[in-house]
Amino acid sequence: MAKYEYQSGKTIHGIQRRRRQLPIHHTLHIAWQNIRVRLGRSLLVTSGIILALAFLTYIRGSDILARNVVTQGPPVLGERIEELEAQRQAFLAADPQIASKLKAKNADEDHPPKTAEENQFEALQKKMRRTQQIRAGLESEGLTGLDDKDARIQTRWMLSLAMLVSFVGILNAMLLSVTERYAEIGTMKCLGALDSLIVELFLIESFFQGVLGTTAGIVIGLALTLIEGQARYGSVVWTLIPYGGFLSTILICFTAGIVLTIGGALYPGYRAAKMRPVEAMRAEV
Amino acid sequence: MEEKKKTDSVETAGIPSSSAAAAAEENPLLSELVVRAVGVKKLYELGGETVHALRGVDLSVKRGEYVSIMGPSGSGKSTLFNMIGGLDKPDEGQVFIDEVDIAALDTFELAWLRCHKIGYIFQTFNLIPVASALENVMMPMLFAGMTQADAQDKAAEILKRVGLGQRLLNKPSQLSGGQQQRVACARALANDPAIILADEPTGNLDLKTGEEIIHMLEELKSEFFVTVISATHDHKMLAASDRVVYLTDGSITDIKRREDLDITFGTIGGQTH
Ligand SMILES: Nc1ncnc2c1ncn2[C@@H]1O[C@H](COP(=O)(O)OP(=O)(O)OP(=O)(O)O)[C@@H](O)[C@H]1O
Ligand SMILES: [Mg+2]
Repeated sequence: MAKYEYQSGKTIHGIQRRRRQLPIHHTLHIAWQNIRVRLGRSLLVTSGIILALAFLTYIRGSDILARNVVTQGPPVLGERIEELEAQRQAFLAADPQIASKLKAKNADEDHPPKTAEENQFEALQKKMRRTQQIRAGLESEGLTGLDDKDARIQTRWMLSLAMLVSFVGILNAMLLSVTERYAEIGTMKCLGALDSLIVELFLIESFFQGVLGTTAGIVIGLALTLIEGQARYGSVVWTLIPYGGFLSTILICFTAGIVLTIGGALYPGYRAAKMRPVEAMRAEV
Repeated sequence: MEEKKKTDSVETAGIPSSSAAAAAEENPLLSELVVRAVGVKKLYELGGETVHALRGVDLSVKRGEYVSIMGPSGSGKSTLFNMIGGLDKPDEGQVFIDEVDIAALDTFELAWLRCHKIGYIFQTFNLIPVASALENVMMPMLFAGMTQADAQDKAAEILKRVGLGQRLLNKPSQLSGGQQQRVACARALANDPAIILADEPTGNLDLKTGEEIIHMLEELKSEFFVTVISATHDHKMLAASDRVVYLTDGSITDIKRREDLDITFGTIGGQTH
């Protein structure tokens, strides 16, 4: 093998002080590799973020959705009821006896087979009844139901709780992902890594995880909100989605998620970077 | 200067290292003494009790020397190793690397020193688990500002030299202990350091593998013109040493040269030594 020149000129006097130790694409590569290779571990950390954000999004999202449905729901539902009523009248016009025939067949213990029209008519009636129930519910509940003192306190409680759970969950996940790598940080410092490089590495890693976890959490939270809305108010929610409110929810939750994730990694990462290599390598998790 | 001469004549005289002497002659900035520890003390407070890990250690190491630090467990080998390597600060005394007092260095200069001047080898290998053997060896080169392509070529070459040419892309978890330590040796050599510091490099290896590593370190020492300082508590690992420093309870109690060593040079790696 070729012998490497003995670097006789290499002394510490007059070393060049580079602000950046590694080009950014190297740091990005290392950070990405860390996440990819520790996929199981990073998924665990990320799932903490996902859960917290899903919870936060759901609590805020469902409140906004309920408000929208309560205020705009009754007139929309009224129109729908009118439509259904028109369809019912059409059936009755075709066969005036259809309602009484159906009643007789339902009462018969032998369950005689129903005609296609009778089945459709029955479904129509059920749908109408349910829609009327929902409208009555919304009208009696009204905004006062959401805005009375108890309900407001409850929502606020839930929101604070969601915030707290997100805070603690994310901070814990990030702290864990830094402390379990103290030894590695110590080793990297022995190899000549600058403190700034280590902090940068954790920043990028937590940013990746934050974006991933926050996005997934928000998607899950919104999906939950809509599924629950569908179960409570029926298909009418799909015409009453509060896009503006959801957008602000997404923005708020995204910002909160990213800030918390990066903040959660920054502090322990900075502390670890400042440690002397021996301390870092000896530190027990 | 007087102090330096004294330590020179007392502790390092008579050690053949012509290449290092030549290097020092060519470059007046480099002295013959690559490491100089003066009155290094280190205390640890443990539950109100003071542990004297080092009680004033003086040690000079000449360029190109292979020095073993020998002592029982708890005698302060690792502590001394950490002081010399700039990984920890002494409570009293000074450590000079190439006649630069490392206590006077700021964090940037310390990082530079660790990157360019010193290669570390640990008992527990301490490779980066998510990186391949090649990437582990490339890492200090990239920290030193080398381009990706250059680092890759050089790392592959050093890995070939330590006998891992076929395992470049393996992760540490896919390598045996001996192979991992070879990667660590290659990584320690990455930036052509002046000193290799090895803290019980064979502590986690069986006897034969351990001897192979020691033998390889001795070869690398002359090939790469490095100085090796290695801590051990195993007599069998002293074969390669130019000098053995005996450490007991935080003080140097004895220094023996190679020719005075009371050990039989057995067979290492199948070759008679
Ligand atoms: N971080 C620490 N805190 C407290 N005491 C310490 C610390 N590190 C080392 N010591 C003490 O300093 C003394 C020397 O420890 P050191 O690790 O240098 O010994 P060693 O010679 O390397 O031992 P071994 O062969 O077991 O590695 C021991 O008594 C140890 O208990
Ligand atoms: Mg030790």
